[in-house]
Amino acid sequence: MPSYNLYMGCSVPANYPNYEAAMLKVAKELGMELEYMEGVACCGSPNLRAIDFMGWLTVNARTIAIAEKNGHDIVTPCNGCFASLKDVYHHLKHDDAHKKQVNAVLKKEGLEFKGISKPRHFVEALYSDIGIEEIQKKITKPLDGVGIAIHYGCHVLRPKDVTEFSPEIYQELVKVTGATVIDYPLWKQCCGATVLPVNEELAIRLARDKLKSMTEAGAVFATVACPACGNQLDLQQLGLKESYGEEYNLPVLLYPQILGLAMGMDEDDVGLSMNRVPAGSIIEHLTE
Amino acid sequence: MTEADEKDGPPVVLVDPIDMSKLDSEFRNEIKSMPYGDELNACFACSTCTAACPIANVWTYKPHQLIRMIILGMREEVLSSDEIWLCLTCFQCQERCPQKVRVTDIFFDCKNLAAEESKIPETIVGLAKTLMEKGQLYEVTADWEREDMDLEPAVPGLSTNEFKDIIKATRTGKIVGGEE
Amino acid sequence: MSDPVLIIGAGVAGLTAAVELADSGVNTIVVEKLPTVGGNALDLYKAFPTDDCFYCFEGNRWRPGIRKCFYRSALIDQPNMDLKINSYVEQITGNSGKFEATIHVGPEYIDAKKCIMCGLCIEYSSAFSLVSPQCQPQAVTYDPDKADEGDKKAVEECPTKAINLDAQPKKETVSVSDVVIATGYHEMKPVNVDEYSYGKHPNIVTQLELAQILDPIGATDGKLLRPSDGKPAKRVMMVQCVGSRDENYYPYCSKICCVYALKHANILTEERDASQVSVVYMDIRTYDSHERYYREARENGVEFVRGRVARVEPKDENELDIIVYDSLLDKYLKFTVDLFVLSSALEPPEGMDNIIDSLGLNVASGFIAPADLVSENEVVAGDHIYACGTALGPAEVPESVTQARAVASKILQNRK
Repeated sequence: MPSYNLYMGCSVPANYPNYEAAMLKVAKELGMELEYMEGVACCGSPNLRAIDFMGWLTVNARTIAIAEKNGHDIVTPCNGCFASLKDVYHHLKHDDAHKKQVNAVLKKEGLEFKGISKPRHFVEALYSDIGIEEIQKKITKPLDGVGIAIHYGCHVLRPKDVTEFSPEIYQELVKVTGATVIDYPLWKQCCGATVLPVNEELAIRLARDKLKSMTEAGAVFATVACPACGNQLDLQQLGLKESYGEEYNLPVLLYPQILGLAMGMDEDDVGLSMNRVPAGSIIEHLTE
Repeated sequence: MTEADEKDGPPVVLVDPIDMSKLDSEFRNEIKSMPYGDELNACFACSTCTAACPIANVWTYKPHQLIRMIILGMREEVLSSDEIWLCLTCFQCQERCPQKVRVTDIFFDCKNLAAEESKIPETIVGLAKTLMEKGQLYEVTADWEREDMDLEPAVPGLSTNEFKDIIKATRTGKIVGGEE
Repeated sequence: MSDPVLIIGAGVAGLTAAVELADSGVNTIVVEKLPTVGGNALDLYKAFPTDDCFYCFEGNRWRPGIRKCFYRSALIDQPNMDLKINSYVEQITGNSGKFEATIHVGPEYIDAKKCIMCGLCIEYSSAFSLVSPQCQPQAVTYDPDKADEGDKKAVEECPTKAINLDAQPKKETVSVSDVVIATGYHEMKPVNVDEYSYGKHPNIVTQLELAQILDPIGATDGKLLRPSDGKPAKRVMMVQCVGSRDENYYPYCSKICCVYALKHANILTEERDASQVSVVYMDIRTYDSHERYYREARENGVEFVRGRVARVEPKDENELDIIVYDSLLDKYLKFTVDLFVLSSALEPPEGMDNIIDSLGLNVASGFIAPADLVSENEVVAGDHIYACGTALGPAEVPESVTQARAVASKILQNRK
């Protein structure tokens, strides 16, 4: 039974308890042991990286160093946390001077970054360590082939040499639930979350373009594996009627919600009622 | 300098060139010495980064122009530009760059240089404050929602003091608490 | 008598070396993995700089032959050439003019001497096919993976009894004095360059695939048609440097893509009635006198866009919207096209690594590098080991031929 250090970050616990709960339940069913990390806080987000590179390096190196006490890999459900942790991990593996500098700070807490515990996104661990075959065995209520558009999220896909993630991972995970993956032209495009603090209008426009592209390609649902992307595509959808006079009514599910339902959990188990755009209609697409 | 140079008013000819000797020729080396600037000089100006960027059409300076400006030494213009802060950090430019210039990462380096000179958008300073005061960007406010999902009301394992201490000692501390 | 020379690959370079050596009285063994000779050149409608095939040069007209079977007379008349098709070299041992080569010779299902290419077998079973009417040897081919009920009938009905389905592969071990590597290039299938959507829409092709569309003996009889629905393609866009000059794929310039893209652009506008041809480029590299293709293309009204493709959006099954960033104009342009042609990198062929490793040769970006760079003997890859043509990296036809002749010259000098 694979064990992991679970790094929640700040956004999922505060804004997406349904994501957190669905992930924990799915993981348990599939035999992944996730243990909340002790004594950790925020990853700082790309904003901290932008203004305070050394601070960003140090806080994330610290998180990795805490994980290294038991040596298990870190998994996180947030693309932002994943990007920060994995980028720092990658950077410190290749930059001895910064590693020394960071470790000098961490030493005060009795910690050291060694580069043993690898930061990973939850969906990648699911795919690589449990595998499609094992997941398939647990699917009791597969979806009826309904079309789902995947928003991968920039920070798991790129830069590829750092993230080591490929779109096929997410596609296979959606297919195993019985859904059809919908290709749409803007699949690579950003959800806009990062520029939300500096240019809200631009951020909303990016989210809107994405939703339009997905809907026009025939998606009935969309899925994300990141709270920031979820915010942009799900929550922001509600404001589009006012700003653009457009209504997409495209339910956006966190991936473990879809998987959980296909594994036979009910809608309360995965917190379906907390999704901003009503997502209850996915129940109609489950087959026995 | 001759007397004529010091005179104000329009230049003698219509083309008013950027005087290369007034640019900061060391700027490219400054960026190169930063964590992601290794391949900066490899840029061959193909503009793939701009073709890949989903928002460059609303930028005054396009990504390939910013890289060009760095190479030419237009330090002030780059570090004061809105564009570096508007970058989505989606890494599409960097991923497609045929010469492996780490375009997005270099914009992060530029933001750090700008931050060192206190050229930071107000909203980002606000985020820095939040990070330093609360140790996280989001706090659990609706703990009943967590309980509804059978989760502990408080996030297990969360401890923010160490985080705050670290960034207080780095640049965030300077940005937020300059007057303290 | 000296041992024969082993030549690996029967494309332009390999066959040139073989013919030159054979004509000079040297025995050659030519090993070709495909069922026909000609290599990539077989698929070119017109090759630059003559806009025809090299062997149709006036200077070569003394050898009777027609376009695309330039080697036919040599292969039929020249007793010093032993061609082994459907074959590959398994292993080479020894050194310094004394090599032992083990050759896997594919089963001879069709006796090329008997086959009259009447096409009867093809009617009975899809396992039989004719690669090209100009193929050499002149014979149909048989693919055992496609074997079906009709095979037996084909054997029985073959008017010259040329088919033997019980044929087995064999292993031959030969002693050879020299090894000539002329394994050519492969045009990269740009499936991984996902911004161009290659493989996701039928009207997105590579330049070599376009050459096949333009070939008068090809599937469309040379008409410029959309693969999706067979309707005329009027609007064509080409994009340069797909996978070339790109550290993520191949760092080198593939050298000939600019010229063949321009050649194709000229054929499209001059001979195929295309109404709109655009070329998206970052640099146009028409070295030497090839600049004339560039000038000609501009005169023909070909649109050159300095910039890169932002996005490819299929409009429907037949048309594509291509959004291009024009860096000179600093604007985004949208084109609607019937055919999107990728000038994809020329890469080393499969198995190149093995040859390089087993013979201990120098390597440059996956191709063979000369044994001694400063000697200026670029075709000398080792002691009695030579390379010519695109085994040494991207090259145009005349260059490949020149190198092949240099190889022949070196071998002949050594034998004096």
